[in-house]
Amino acid sequence: MANKQGSLGDRFAEITVVLVTLVALIFGGMYKSSVENASIPFEAQGVSLAAPKGWIQASVRGNEIFRASDFNSSGFATTYSVQKIAVADDATAPEVANFILMDRAQTLDAFKALDQNEVSDSLGRDAYLLHYVYVSSNPDATHASIPNIVRGADFIYLKGGYAYVVSFQADDQNYDRDLGRFYRFLESLQF
Amino acid sequence: MKESHPVHERKHIWRDGFLLVVALCVFVGLVFALDNAMKPTFNATTLALTGVFLAFVPAFIWLAFFYIQDSVEPEPKGYVLAVFVLGGLLAAAVGIPVVDNLFRVSHWIYTNTLSSILGGILVVGFTQEFLKYAAVRYSIYNSDEYDEPTDGVTYATAAGLGYATMLNINFVISNGGVDLGAGMIRMAVVALAHAAFAGVTGYFLGRAKFESESIWWMPTGITLAAIFNGIFNWLLGIVTQPTISLSGAKDNAWWGLVFAAVVALATTSAVLALVRRNIQALKAAQGE
Repeated sequence: MANKQGSLGDRFAEITVVLVTLVALIFGGMYKSSVENASIPFEAQGVSLAAPKGWIQASVRGNEIFRASDFNSSGFATTYSVQKIAVADDATAPEVANFILMDRAQTLDAFKALDQNEVSDSLGRDAYLLHYVYVSSNPDATHASIPNIVRGADFIYLKGGYAYVVSFQADDQNYDRDLGRFYRFLESLQF
Repeated sequence: MKESHPVHERKHIWRDGFLLVVALCVFVGLVFALDNAMKPTFNATTLALTGVFLAFVPAFIWLAFFYIQDSVEPEPKGYVLAVFVLGGLLAAAVGIPVVDNLFRVSHWIYTNTLSSILGGILVVGFTQEFLKYAAVRYSIYNSDEYDEPTDGVTYATAAGLGYATMLNINFVISNGGVDLGAGMIRMAVVALAHAAFAGVTGYFLGRAKFESESIWWMPTGITLAAIFNGIFNWLLGIVTQPTISLSGAKDNAWWGLVFAAVVALATTSAVLALVRRNIQALKAAQGE
């Protein structure tokens, strides 16, 4: 059989295959972003935000006004939550941070605070940031699963006699990858 | 470079394809029946090892048929096996990390119907079909042993089965083993689907080497295979969706196997018809 292997046309065809595949993957990546960044508006108690579309909004507890989890995450379901806590007018962010730390230490297993410092978010708002880690395990003792290491970040904002605590918790393996989307969530937050 | 020798059709390639579908369905039935009758107990290691062994069964069946029947102008067996291994290695080194880690497909592809179809075609389909194409195009394609249009189908099927085998091994390892009956159905479905889509790419590869096709010929082939891949996986999800009633949940995995077998038979028949027509045209051009 005659073959045209190595011809110029063959090489162009080869390059075209690579280009078409790359274009498909780029469009696929863009579509992925559009699906992952899709949101639905949420408003409660003077706080408005863009809640991730497709996440499960859980019932809120205590001071929480918003809680949503991504159950497609591997391991611990990546979770965003917002708390609105009434504080004294002269309360400082480190004081609120200590209160949050005490609360988390009492309710979360193997809780460790990693660091805390004052930051400005991407909109220039002053916040106090806590990083921490804990272990999450299924409370059912017969459930055969290994506990997950969870990393968390709390952004604490003080405004008008309230502390707004915006939390991001994700499996240790997903934390860095999911952080970018959380920042976009943080940008959508108005109080 | 110009070479010339009479064009043949390796008819057993089609028999191998049809026999793979039939033998796999029979094998799955046997595993299911034995699993139900004997109810074997495994520890974590033996369960994982059994799963990995079962992952090789579809490829073993196809290769066995191929080896037995490839007697007239035989294709070098080492090359077929090497392309099979290359397909598997590309899946492990590139395909699975790209789909699972870079695009994190499981996070968003099941959001809605459009995501399932577009994600299945643009990300999963193109990644998998390009890698199967690459396993052939950058290895055996330039060899003198690749001397018939049918060789495209042979080697692409080998690459597709290598890719499917690695997907199945990954599935077994990441789940710490699989239920024998349901796990074997899933592995058979994956193997049949990948062999079928690779056959489409193989037809385009076969013509790409020996005929003057436009530069869009091969991209069209990959795109078609990717579209089939994406739509198949979307439909498979619908077909195998568990049915929940008052008496409990009903697993529809068997319908998945039936669906995959029908798709594999239909695709193989279509590729067979196209290759035959192409070979007749080439023979006519050679004045036979």
